[in-house]
Amino acid sequence: MPGVFDRLNKEIKDKQQEGGITALDLADLQPALRKIMRLMLRELQMTYPRLCEAMDDTPEKDRLTRDELDDSLSMLTQQFWLIRIGEGEKAIYKVNLRRKEGSKLAAGIWSALDAKLKDKPKDG
Amino acid sequence: MNKGKIVSIHSFRGGTGKSNTTANLAAQVAMAGKRVGVVDTDIQSPGIHVLFGLDENKMGKTMNDFLHGKATIREIGFSIGDHSSGGEGRAKLAGKNLWLFPSSIRGREISQILKEGIDFNLLNEGLQKTITEFDLDYLFIDTHPGLNEETLLSIATSDILIIILRPDNQDLQGTSVTVDIARSLDVPNLLLMVNKALPKYDFAELKKEIEDKFNAPVTGILPLSFDLADNASNDLFSLRFPDHDWSKALRGVAEAVLAVE
Repeated sequence: MPGVFDRLNKEIKDKQQEGGITALDLADLQPALRKIMRLMLRELQMTYPRLCEAMDDTPEKDRLTRDELDDSLSMLTQQFWLIRIGEGEKAIYKVNLRRKEGSKLAAGIWSALDAKLKDKPKDG
Repeated sequence: MNKGKIVSIHSFRGGTGKSNTTANLAAQVAMAGKRVGVVDTDIQSPGIHVLFGLDENKMGKTMNDFLHGKATIREIGFSIGDHSSGGEGRAKLAGKNLWLFPSSIRGREISQILKEGIDFNLLNEGLQKTITEFDLDYLFIDTHPGLNEETLLSIATSDILIIILRPDNQDLQGTSVTVDIARSLDVPNLLLMVNKALPKYDFAELKKEIEDKFNAPVTGILPLSFDLADNASNDLFSLRFPDHDWSKALRGVAEAVLAVE
């Protein structure tokens, strides 16, 4: 039977399938949110209290109030740019990066290439 | 935030000497006693492994295996300090804390990535885990030239971005684009490095001209060198020929990286 960690991990993985943010989207965020998103990319995930702490560390001119931060987190979560697990003070947030699409070349090209490379002894 | 610094090395165009510079910088920083990792995120045209003496036969698990869930980051890290033979320069890295996280050079695995795309959540997790699991002070990321999605991700998570350019009008225009993007992503430390500068140039004047144009520090101007070309990526040039002008200028760039707080 899967444990709590496995279940949370699966929940995160399922949600990550839907949409996501690109590095260029990050550039368009408000400075304070961009700072938090960058921090979250480095820490991989952050609790709500840790996010508040990071916001308190941003320069005063860029800082968001708690209500503004909560609204922004909700908006980013609705866009699937952030994934939220849990609610309120216990919520954990994680950035959801958009997957890089595979090549749009016709499938036949890939199977032909695959067959050719499969025959190469070194690649076996 | 984890303590290790991410240093992305980028150039807008190919042929600037990016992989050579990345490998030599990482080696110099490791020689300074730091714990260093080098990740090859140039998944479609990997090459930096050659400078560390790896070939297809010596290469074990790769970033491609990690991205396909077939290996952990711990399994991918290849200790250069434990496998430093095969080059007079590389031999100096014996016992140093330097790991390479290579990308696959097998045609099938490269084509599989191109065909299926990349899970960036997983790639980012991998980059961060190299730092935590190997307790790195510095993680150098060798990126693909130009601006693709994996390059933008590495820029977005960098503490230090080094942009390499040649004194060439195409490079200068392309560098403007990268500098704009880096600034819009709030990269904390943006450094420039000029490579392949003709010895006839006045390097001090060139440095000033480029710094004025981009409003960013030029950490080194490295001369165009036939000796480096003759090395043909067979060894780590700055370790093998420490008194060469190219090596001296490269050490200046390494010092600039080490000086970033």
